[in-house]
Amino acid sequence: MPLCQWHYRDSSSANPLFSTEDAIEANRFMKGIEAAAGVSIGGIDLAKFISQQIEDLGAEVCYHKFLPHSKHFHPLKFFTSMTNDMAIQPNGTDTNFGINTIGIIRAPRGDGKEAIVLVTPYNSRRVDSNELLSLALGFSVFSLLSRAAWLSKDIVWLAADSQFGEYAAVSAWLNQYHNPVFLSHSMILDTKIYDGNAEKAEFFTFKRAGTMSAALIVKVGETRRYGDRDSVTMYAEASNGQMPNLDLLNVVHYLAVHRQGFRVNIAAFSSLLSSAWLRVIAEFFHNLGTVLRKINPDWKLDIAVPDYVEGTANLANSIYNQALGVPTGSHGAFRDYQVDAVSLEFSPTFNVRNENAKSLLLLRGGRLIEGVVRSVNNLLEKFHQSFFLYFLTAPSKFISVGVYMIPFALLLAPLPIVAAALADGNKSMEKLPENLIDNGKASVNADVLQNKGGSWKWLQAAKVLLVIQLWAVCVSLLPYYITQIPDFTPMQSAVIWAMLSIIILIALYVMFGSPYPAGVEWKLLKATMITSISIGLGLMSIINFATAQLGALIVIPMCLFSRPLKAGSGMHSLPRAVLLISNITLAVLGFPPAALLIMKGLSKGSWTVDVGDFWVWMEFLWQWSSATYLYLFLVHLPCWLLCIHVLLHPCRQELKLKQE
Amino acid sequence: MLIRATGRRLQMTRNRSLKRLGLTKAVNDSANVSAGDIASLIYLWNPWAIVTCVGSCTSPIENLMVVIMIYGACSRLAPLAAFGYVMATHLSLYPAILIVPVILLLGYGPDAPPTKVFILKSSSASKSDMSEYDKQTSLKVQRFSWMTVLHFIFWLFIWSCYVLLLSSIILKKVGGLNEMFEKTYGFILTVKDLSPNIGVLWYFFAEVFDFFRSFFLIVFNMNIIFMVLPLAIRLKHRPCFLAFVYTGIVAMLKSYPSAGDSALYLGLLGLFASELAEMQFTFFLFFGYIGVSLLSPVMHNLWIWRGTGNANFYFATGLAYTCLQTVLVVESVGSMIKHDRKLRLLVTS
Repeated sequence: MPLCQWHYRDSSSANPLFSTEDAIEANRFMKGIEAAAGVSIGGIDLAKFISQQIEDLGAEVCYHKFLPHSKHFHPLKFFTSMTNDMAIQPNGTDTNFGINTIGIIRAPRGDGKEAIVLVTPYNSRRVDSNELLSLALGFSVFSLLSRAAWLSKDIVWLAADSQFGEYAAVSAWLNQYHNPVFLSHSMILDTKIYDGNAEKAEFFTFKRAGTMSAALIVKVGETRRYGDRDSVTMYAEASNGQMPNLDLLNVVHYLAVHRQGFRVNIAAFSSLLSSAWLRVIAEFFHNLGTVLRKINPDWKLDIAVPDYVEGTANLANSIYNQALGVPTGSHGAFRDYQVDAVSLEFSPTFNVRNENAKSLLLLRGGRLIEGVVRSVNNLLEKFHQSFFLYFLTAPSKFISVGVYMIPFALLLAPLPIVAAALADGNKSMEKLPENLIDNGKASVNADVLQNKGGSWKWLQAAKVLLVIQLWAVCVSLLPYYITQIPDFTPMQSAVIWAMLSIIILIALYVMFGSPYPAGVEWKLLKATMITSISIGLGLMSIINFATAQLGALIVIPMCLFSRPLKAGSGMHSLPRAVLLISNITLAVLGFPPAALLIMKGLSKGSWTVDVGDFWVWMEFLWQWSSATYLYLFLVHLPCWLLCIHVLLHPCRQELKLKQE
Repeated sequence: MLIRATGRRLQMTRNRSLKRLGLTKAVNDSANVSAGDIASLIYLWNPWAIVTCVGSCTSPIENLMVVIMIYGACSRLAPLAAFGYVMATHLSLYPAILIVPVILLLGYGPDAPPTKVFILKSSSASKSDMSEYDKQTSLKVQRFSWMTVLHFIFWLFIWSCYVLLLSSIILKKVGGLNEMFEKTYGFILTVKDLSPNIGVLWYFFAEVFDFFRSFFLIVFNMNIIFMVLPLAIRLKHRPCFLAFVYTGIVAMLKSYPSAGDSALYLGLLGLFASELAEMQFTFFLFFGYIGVSLLSPVMHNLWIWRGTGNANFYFATGLAYTCLQTVLVVESVGSMIKHDRKLRLLVTS
């Protein structure tokens, strides 16, 4: 159920200073930069134009050169933070750098300890008019802030060069800001090679502004028809499901909707928005809610059908984005350094070629950004009062961790109990022969001292678990070697990966012995599997909750239902058949590629099967160092394989005992 | 290697004592369980031991000294045992309490069933027809050999003087022996540095008022000493097992525990594999250890690097770890006593 709670609201943003003069200045900037873009070669001219404008305002300028990260799979990338790949240092001849332009306003009333960051990305290779508009917007706000008397934190404006990707530019700058790398040779020499005029050397020394208290990324997107108003789309998810503090989102939403008349969206699953069965469910809940309301007027459970459908679509998208663990924009780079950041994409209703529409967008957008900056400026501390762990169901509604943890806890709670019951149940079965000996025979029997392995019998099941985990580690590391071979299509890579995994599995079985020796009972194997999955899900829920939640939905029914297909001879035929069918269905669903196919089908609405897609998806996950990749291969896959083992268990011990 | 040799000696003694009790069938059955091999494999392949080696910690050296001491005592080599004891106590203070099991080992010999069992056996044997020779050998079992113990104390004195002399020569410029004692033993006992670790003391001492600090220091340090005497009285016939229990307790209650301490006592646990075959809760303990060792770094990361957790999360894993160790120690002692009781029942039946 969507909730709404009290949040931070700043009253001083009531009278924005951004006025039509600032909009006119933005227009002037826009014309200038269009001219510069027209004659630019390689994007350096844009950077020079921006830096010239910033210098004219009286603020500090600096350039930041960076190189893109390599996209290769490296096993340690998951555990170390993204270090700048300076190994691709050119020998002074390559001009394939990106240049970020940074402007810094030092606050007149502040002490320089904190800063607010404004980011406007643009592609220096191929600039389009929307990016120029966003640069103009950023510049006009920057110039307004340089004259503001209420400023107590420094303002940093980053015009990020997104030719290698927006995220790469921002994360490279942040990395240099927080973890500087000092090179033996200076990079200043390189730039003088391609710079015709002698740039001032001071532009190349990296300048900093203190700890960042919040960051805002501004883009102007495509023209979209959401209605009669301009709209703003908020993107908040960072890597591994981390979110900025909810207060930041609330500030943006309140100022956008109630002060500037924007319409705020968050991304949603379009397929869910138009699905018929969701509408049916929504109507059912609506009717149920009205009935309940008649019984007790305090139960306000009847939600309007469109609200329910939209809320579900937003929630599904929120969970999905968090579960993937991949940031939805360059605000994710800020989260790695504990800075709250959100991306705003302005979508004008009318074409921006229309001068009036453009001015209006600039005016309102500028006021919104100024309002947000002013609110953050007036804070004495970083955002920490509101939630960090939540799902968004609407731009102003959320589900907090206290509520969404309950279903997960309910799913996870029976697992240790089932495991203990299975493990103990096995022990009580063993005690039967011992009692026979004690009662019947009086002679000293050495079996009493040596209980045929005693209570350590589960060690064999643990050995099977260890072998399977080892296999899973090998499988997850295989792409490192497969990517070394160049020129493979995704389809070929996926097929090779599958074949190599099967070969390694067979090799491990040969080395360590088959998993069905006389000693391993299926109950112990199932207990071991359940314990390992509870530890794995518990760990994952701390790292990325959404992944653990979705994984638990798929894996836990599969584990709890699993019984060997040959067991259950004492049951009637109908329950046995139901159990068989459910076991097989769940096993098929639990297979990681099958689960991914379902996710893809729900998210994009297309259900085509392509083996190469699996490889592409995995590549996407490991490029962003998402913990979801590790979860899939180190928790989900071994559990699925163990489940298959339990299903195919030959059950010799039960037959033997029944014969005795 | 040393663990393996210790295991072999323990096994020989065990077989001998079982033979004396007439339980020859048990000896034949248990021949395939080589306790020494199991223990050494556990120690070598323990992920915690590997992690301490990767982290370049000095705990493997301390563990080596403790095992030298135990091996020397089991094989009745007094100089070796004394050397191990002095070095272990010099490196970290807590192996000092292991003097009790070492003296018992040197005096009585390696683990054996309690003397009561032997007396019962001889009294039941006197009822049946047995040769005089057997009676005499069965009575001569448990005598405390003072000579070995005195030998040990003499070597202890020599080694400790030597180590202190060397230390004072090296540290003459820096401040001498007093400074060394203050910085090493004093630091361990007064718990000045409260950085988080896997123990329980740091959290407690971060909250205690200064007025009560010395009181609580005394309480926590005496906590270990209180357990020495009762355990020694109960388990004096099994000194090697007593040493294992002491290392377990020390790993739990010392002021700065680490993963290397648990590597030591988990390895020693393997030496008693045949007696501890019926320990309860082994499944829970095994997966508990795995769970805590995976969860604890994640909680630490969440608290310090991500900032979305707090100290309580990390301390909760420390508490769970202590709980697991407690269960392990209690269960192992309980099952060892049950084993002795079973032997007694078998002999009298």
